[in-house]
Amino acid sequence: MANSPLVAYPTSALHPNLPTTRPTSTAPSPLKPIPSGIASPSPAIVVQADPSGAVTLANDPFIPAEQLNDWEKHKYVKGKKLGEGTYANVYLGHLRSDPSQLVAIKKIKVQKEFRDGIAPDAIRELKHLQELNHPNIIKLLSVFTSKDQNLNIVLEYLPLGDLEGLIRDTSGIPYGPADVKAWMGMIARGVWFYGTVKLADFGLARAFGDPFTTNRPMTANVITIWYRPPELLFGAPFYSAAVDIWSVGVMFAELINRAALLPGQTEMEEISLICKVIGTPTEDNWPGVTSLPHYAVPDDKTPVTPREVYMQRFGSVGAEGVDLLMRMLALDPRKRVTAREMLEHKWWRAEPRPTRLEDLPRNRKEGNAEKYGQDQGRKPGVLDDKNGNRGDKVARRLDFGAAKK
Amino acid sequence: MAAEDARYRQSTQYKLWSFSPAQLSATREKTNALAKATISERLLSRPPPAASAPTSGSNTPNPSSQMQGAGDLPEFLTPAEELRLLNHYTAELLRASDFLQYSVAIRATSAIFFRRFYVANSIMTYPPTEMLKTCLFFGNKVNGVYLHAEQFAANFPKTTAEGILAGEFLLCQGLRFAFDVKHPYRALEAAMFELERYGDVDLTRLGTASKTARDILKFSPLMTDAYFHYTPSQIMLAALSLADEELYDRVVRETFHLAHTPAFPNAPPQSRKAAAAAEEKSRLLGPEMRDKVRAAIASCRSMLAQEPPARMTGYWGTPAQTDAVKPSLRKLRKCRDPDRFDLVALHKARREQALRNGDADDEDGRVPAGSSLDGDDDAAVFGNVEERDAKRRKVKKGLEDPFGGPL
Repeated sequence: MANSPLVAYPTSALHPNLPTTRPTSTAPSPLKPIPSGIASPSPAIVVQADPSGAVTLANDPFIPAEQLNDWEKHKYVKGKKLGEGTYANVYLGHLRSDPSQLVAIKKIKVQKEFRDGIAPDAIRELKHLQELNHPNIIKLLSVFTSKDQNLNIVLEYLPLGDLEGLIRDTSGIPYGPADVKAWMGMIARGVWFYGTVKLADFGLARAFGDPFTTNRPMTANVITIWYRPPELLFGAPFYSAAVDIWSVGVMFAELINRAALLPGQTEMEEISLICKVIGTPTEDNWPGVTSLPHYAVPDDKTPVTPREVYMQRFGSVGAEGVDLLMRMLALDPRKRVTAREMLEHKWWRAEPRPTRLEDLPRNRKEGNAEKYGQDQGRKPGVLDDKNGNRGDKVARRLDFGAAKK
Repeated sequence: MAAEDARYRQSTQYKLWSFSPAQLSATREKTNALAKATISERLLSRPPPAASAPTSGSNTPNPSSQMQGAGDLPEFLTPAEELRLLNHYTAELLRASDFLQYSVAIRATSAIFFRRFYVANSIMTYPPTEMLKTCLFFGNKVNGVYLHAEQFAANFPKTTAEGILAGEFLLCQGLRFAFDVKHPYRALEAAMFELERYGDVDLTRLGTASKTARDILKFSPLMTDAYFHYTPSQIMLAALSLADEELYDRVVRETFHLAHTPAFPNAPPQSRKAAAAAEEKSRLLGPEMRDKVRAAIASCRSMLAQEPPARMTGYWGTPAQTDAVKPSLRKLRKCRDPDRFDLVALHKARREQALRNGDADDEDGRVPAGSSLDGDDDAAVFGNVEERDAKRRKVKKGLEDPFGGPL
């Protein structure tokens, strides 16, 4: 059945204060017996009557909307701008009560041309991030609006950038197959958990299981073009979690070779690249492909790239790794590995073992965050220009310190 | 199944929006008390218009402010009256949704948003007639249907896009920015597949039960607090039991079919783990759990039975219903929050105040020194009482019935 009837009654809806307490520690065991019937609620659900509870319990159901928002807003101190995009600006921030607890505050830009309230991208991002709690998916800590009605999304701070930065920074940090395996492990587990790959950017995410969207055609334009699978490029009106496997496969190849695999500038170019690098999709290797709405391939058809060529290009991850890569990049989505098969693939058990998390290149987040906290500890909550400058220095130090390592 | 339970426990529906009945009613009482206190304070702190300008006020006739002079507080809604109005307006929301032919998911999501919003916010504080439209607009958005505010507003008399959008941020705050609502419709489909799989259930009967249960799900849980107390599958099974008790019984019996098999503590270590797993499984699918589930569903069932689908049309403009809510509505007109009832003015004032405070969103990383933290700088926000009153009078006319007469 889609939903098990076994869920126990909620015993307390008082939600822990996320930035200080991780939800993992509070999630009750699903196997725990139902503590009480509905007629005799357990003492745990007695509502705290103290009105000052408003300042200690962020998700106390009592707090009216506006007060809760102001309180959430006050909880964080917004600092230096980390980045600017068309969709949002990202700021470094920290907990007012504990400056060592760094966060990223993503301020959604007001889109002038969108006159219908909060932008759909922001709604989608929030809707999905709110429901997710997985170590490999960025954590949503809080949301608030600032006075001029901007949406601010407080996220777990990932100080060391993203995999893209790592791949591109060829001068800096050397890494090996074991590191690749560790990163791939994180990605694969994240995908398996949710079935979608936009691990840190849910603006374009859409729940696959959603009964009211599955029978509605989805827009084909959802993945950055380099990671877009052929079925989307050919305009398939319905698609599955297999699109994400393709994307992860492309990332896998990029991690191995530190070079973009299919850097098409346009959809046409992307299709040509796929035909050249992976092989031309035909009725032979993908029954039904020619009837997809936008099916069009270059005239000189390339056969599917054989294993030997993959071994030459990606052999550093071994025969097992190449096997997994090839399965992820299967042209026909029905023949692509599933997320579960991907996790069960023998590559994970083959040598070398994945690098331990704490030994991964540039993954020095916690130590530096702590140092930052110590630096800031002397003047907790003080906001002056020094703060911004210091944040700047720290950010640079994180970079070089890690690069040396 | 246990894995699904674990997943459900991660959902905001469980973590933020599930309460025991005692907790929910305590929260509503608290919300009501808080609103009374705040509104009293605001009414008392306003300049008594009748006393200060008894002769000059020919151009500002304001009967309500005369009645609400200092020391003369209106009678407030009780928590029970608030709940009655909440149900009344939830029915109005469903009526509007049906009129506009929104999907089942959008309809239900909007209704649940509305009920969630008014857990910690009083009907006296924020106007339900406005919020229900914003809920419908936002319910569409969350389900991937992006309406133009102008066009949406045109469906309602005396409604502007500005009015719809003024409540949007407020609604989001009230929802704790949790936009995913899990409904029981899909669980019903799954139960039907399951019953079909048994192979010996008459398909016509199945179809009838499915339709009846779906009709119940489209009304009863949205008009009661079922979503706050029960999981989607519990709600679904309760609806199924109302639709066809025997079929419900069958599903429960087939699901919890295992006898209890205790693990043997003296077993050799290699088989101990497997035995423990088997015991766990037999516990989850055994008679004890079955009885617990049955008890939960029985109580959910009696909740749903209070609002059977047949009552739906009774809510809509019938004389009985009008009479039932009239006294509460009359009270509401006198006791609503003078600084919150006009959402457009509130929204505007907040923006203007933000601009004045230079809260231009911290481009330099500073928090403006004067930025308020308790959110109650209404004196600053609402400087001009008279202007506000004029606006409110204008709005008030439109509050009686946002959808015009009965359809």
